[in-house]
Amino acid sequence: MRLGRLASTIAIHIRGKDLPTYTPSVDMGAFVIVVNAEKIAVTGKKRYQKLYRRHSGRPGGMKVETFDQLQQRIPERIVEHAVRGMLPKGRLGRRLFTKLKVYKGPEHPHAAQKPVPLPISDKRIMLDK
Amino acid sequence: VKRGSVARKYRKNILDFASGFRGAHSRLFRTATQQKQKALTRAYVDRKNKKRTLRRLWIARINAVARRYGSTHSGLIHDFYKNRVLLNCKILAQVATLDAYSFLKIIEEVNEKKS
Repeated sequence: MRLGRLASTIAIHIRGKDLPTYTPSVDMGAFVIVVNAEKIAVTGKKRYQKLYRRHSGRPGGMKVETFDQLQQRIPERIVEHAVRGMLPKGRLGRRLFTKLKVYKGPEHPHAAQKPVPLPISDKRIMLDK
Repeated sequence: VKRGSVARKYRKNILDFASGFRGAHSRLFRTATQQKQKALTRAYVDRKNKKRTLRRLWIARINAVARRYGSTHSGLIHDFYKNRVLLNCKILAQVATLDAYSFLKIIEEVNEKKS
């Protein structure tokens, strides 16, 4: 599963853009659970070249990591970072982001909500499979 | 010549318009005048913007339903125009929201006419 394609489908479902009752000012999307986050893939040389930067606020405090390193350290953050960039920015966007739950490995603690597999209608993803 | 209550009436008029505004904007005359001016200007502009934003919303909703059934908003509208289904003035995105069954029937009819 490729990072951007997955993230874009997730963002559409979280925002609720696949529902005919779509309302941009209201949080009416679905919760999305992502499992096996460490299996996310990128093409080309991005595994060793894609950089994740963060800044601690202090001068000289920029820290840079590659995709590879971050995947070994905290793989959930890769998916979260990608989806956050695709959600709207602002108060509602931040709340939408809390609807995303990402887990390493195949287990997740939300069995009580009886999650349904996400319907993927993105042609690029279907063609990949 | 005393001026009577003319000034009071003028100020009261404006303050009544500004009732419900936040803080000093509904209490102090001079700030309320400014806010009234802004409110009226914005109302004028937004009456025109409302037409745009509502159309955006309708298009997004039609797109959502269209993509669920394998086409896109633009494809659907194209088919509608070609087959002279001119009734869709986007307010019939309401149809899609409230009465999904009828919307599907419309799509089916158009698909039949295409083939």
